[in-house]
This record gives sequence, structure tokens and C-alpha cells, in this order.
Amino acid sequence: MTEPQQLSYEQAREELIEVVRTLEQGGVTLEESLALWERGEALATACQQWLNGARTRLEQAIAVDDE
Amino acid sequence: MIPRAPAASVPWPRLTAVGLKTSPEQPAPVRQIANAIAGWIDQLGAVWVEGQVAQVNRRPGVQTVFMTLRDSVADISVPLTCSRTLFDSLNPPLVEGASVVVHGKPSYYANRGSLSLNVREIRMVGLGELLARLERRRQVLAAEGLFAPELKRSLPFLPQVVGLVTAPNSAAERDVVENARRRWPAVRFEVVYAAMQGPRSATEVMEALDRLERHPDVDVIVVARGGGSVEDLLPFSDEALLRAVHRMRTPVVSAIGHEPDQPLLDLVADVRASTPTDAAGLIVPDMAEELHGVTWARERIRALLTGLVDREQAGLDALRSRPALADPRSLLQTRVEEVHGLRERARRCLGHQLDRAADDIDHRRARARALSPLATLQRGYAVVQDAEGRVLNSVAGVRAGGAVQIRLADGRIDATTTSVSPATTTGTKTKTKTTAATSGEPDD
Repeated sequence: MTEPQQLSYEQAREELIEVVRTLEQGGVTLEESLALWERGEALATACQQWLNGARTRLEQAIAVDDE
Repeated sequence: MIPRAPAASVPWPRLTAVGLKTSPEQPAPVRQIANAIAGWIDQLGAVWVEGQVAQVNRRPGVQTVFMTLRDSVADISVPLTCSRTLFDSLNPPLVEGASVVVHGKPSYYANRGSLSLNVREIRMVGLGELLARLERRRQVLAAEGLFAPELKRSLPFLPQVVGLVTAPNSAAERDVVENARRRWPAVRFEVVYAAMQGPRSATEVMEALDRLERHPDVDVIVVARGGGSVEDLLPFSDEALLRAVHRMRTPVVSAIGHEPDQPLLDLVADVRASTPTDAAGLIVPDMAEELHGVTWARERIRALLTGLVDREQAGLDALRSRPALADPRSLLQTRVEEVHGLRERARRCLGHQLDRAADDIDHRRARARALSPLATLQRGYAVVQDAEGRVLNSVAGVRAGGAVQIRLADGRIDATTTSVSPATTTGTKTKTKTTAATSGEPDD
């Protein structure tokens, strides 16, 4: 499985959606659902990092221009 | 070269020669006078006349073209008429302002009472011939493809250095430089001066262009001068100059004269500016306008990007707030409940078993108690045990002086045997004498 940090934002988001759907549907073993949940957490973190990075760059660009 | 007008050789007919006598009492009708004039004028021979075409009136469908020929010095003019076939056969076409020599016969149009020279031949002279030569050159170079639209290079959006070829201290230089600076204050010029008029002009302009072409930073060149006569602008139709511009790799803007001036340089240049001021607008962008556009675009992309990040953030937040992610305990909850229920059931199960076991024990204890010798003891019997706790049911083995215990219903007596006497055969009970110390502890 690819490390979430190495996925693109869209890939991470798609997989995260899939993880949540699987978790919500149930029907997996406890061990599997724990693994899924951990994966989902990691994916969400990766997505958040992407968004934070984008926002930071945006704000920096605006700050530089406003000087 | 210009043919002499032979008009003087024709004798003017005298009005009286036709024998027309008139008086207030005997006036002649208009038709008679008009016919008489027409008749006199018809006697005039054809003449060669030199002048400048001031006006051309060529109406579609009308077989006669009307023109006005003006004296090149005095403010005197004469109407010309010629056939449409003659007029259309002229190459280059006759334009207003052209100097011509025409061969025409004076002719009187009686219906209107108008006089004109009916022209049978038109020759370009001076400027007319000049324009004709330029027109021929234009056709030749056009046929060669020097003016082909696909050769036109586009101007750089923001030139590094603008090359300018113009006359020293000219209005054209000022127009180009000042207007360009107004639009884009940082614009840089490399000005090379050249004669923009006279016989050396074409050569000097070519040298200037060559210098600018070799300048590494010049990426657009403007050739500028103010308006002037056709003769003044002739150098900018010079064939060598046109071919030199054609070979240039740097885009060239032609900014010669005013709007109506059209030297051939306009055609071979990559861009034609109608005036030097117009050229300034072509070579550099308007900074205020560009800044405005950039600001607008920047605000727009920022808004777009911010919106995109916000939307994605909202989506991610929504995903993360789903119980499956936000509260992973929810994943365990059903399982926890299941385990809890099972444990409850297990506990309940075990409790019942314990209860039953306890009941059983109680029951058995009651039965055991019912079977114990306690009730017998309460009736006055006693149990004698030796020092080791063995119940004595015979005096055999009991020695005088030995310790025994006597168990009663409500306690125990520790005693010492004083003597032992076996019973007689009659079956009397064995009598054992003891000294005793009582102990009140209940026997359980």
C-alpha cells in the first residue's frame, strides 16, 4: 500500500472516502476495521497537510504582494 | 519633354465673323448664342495642357469621367472630360493630386453652357510619374513576395530595448519617446540618428538599421519621421532600403508621416504605424492598463484558489467528522456491547450455578447435622476420646493416669484416668474413674 504522504491530494481523498464508506458499511473483522481506521487517519492527515501547504503558499504569495 | 501647347497657332474666330448682329431691339435667343459659341469653340484645335488633377468624378454607369485640372501655380482651373475607357486604362490609376499632361480639345456643352477639355490622351508627369514608378515598384516587390502577410513578425510584448531610427531633434523622435514613456516609464531606447530626407537618407537609414540589428538587446526597431511631400518621403520607398528591411530579423515598425502617407516601407515593415505617436502605442504596452489587468487577474485566481482550498477543507472536515473517523470508539462500540452482554450472560450463568451449589451445600449440611451425635449428647450421653482424639469404645488400652477427653453436648472435659476396671460378664458398663477439667467451648 502506498504511504499516504506519497499520494496526490486527489488520490488520498478518494481513498479516504472509500475507507469511510467501508467502515460505515461494516461487515469487516475487527482487525480489518482497526487497520482501515488507522489508514483513514493517515489519509486524512495527508489531505490536511496538502491543504495546509496550499493555504500557506497562498497566504505567503498574498503577503509578499501586499508588502 | 513636356509638349508645347499648340493653342496659340489656332486663330481665335471673331464673334462678328459669323455675321451675328444683335441689338436691344433684336436680341438673339439662347439657343442661337449657345450654338454659335459651340460652333466657334469647335473650331479650336486640340491642345496639350499641363496641370494638376484637383478632382476626379467617376460615376459607375456613366461613360464620361469628369475631372478638374488646376494650374500648378495660379488659382485657375479647367474642367476635363474623358472617356471611361481611357481613364480606366491608366496604370497606375490617376489619383487626385497627380501632375499630368493631357491632350484635349476644347468643347462646349450647349445644354449646360459648360466648357471642358475633351481629353484623348493623359500622360503622367513629375509627381504623377513618380507615383507611377512607385506603383510599378510596389507591384514588382509584391510579386516577389516581400509584403507577404506570413512574413510579418509580431512585436515583443515588452521590448528590452527599442531601436529608434529618426532625424536628430525631430518631432518624430519626441513623439515616439515621450508617448512610449508615458505608457511604460521603464522603456529603454537606443536611438540612431539618420538623415530622414534627401539623397543620403536611404543609405543612412540602412546603416542605422544594420547597427540596431546587431545590437543584442534591441528587439524592435521603429523608423520614424514626420509627414512630408511625396518627394520628401521617397527614400522610404527606396528599393535597397525595402530589401534591407525585408532581410531584417528584428521586427520593424514603420512610422512615417501622417495617416494618408504611404511609403512602401509601410508594406515591407512588420507593423505599420500611422504616425510616430501611434508607433509608441504599438511598441510598448500601457502600464496602467496592464497593471489593472494583472491586478484583476490576480484577485480572480486568488479568489478561485482560496475557494477551492476552502471547499476541499470543508469536504475533508465532513469526512473526518463522520463517526467512523471522528470517534473510532464507535467502531468498537457494537463489539464492546456484544462482549459486555456475553460477559453478563456468563456471569449470570455462573451465579445460578453457585446458588444451586450453595443450596446443595446447605441441604447436605442439614442432613449431616441431623446425623451428628449432638442430639444423643444432649440427652446426657458423653463421648470419651483418648489423647490422640480416638473415640474410646473399650477400656482396653486405657491406662490409669492417661489423659482422656470427655465430650458433652455443650463442651469438653479434659480428664485424667485414675483407674480402669473392665466390666463384669453381666454386661455392666465399664467404669472409668477420672478427674476432669471442663472446657466450655461448644462442639461444632
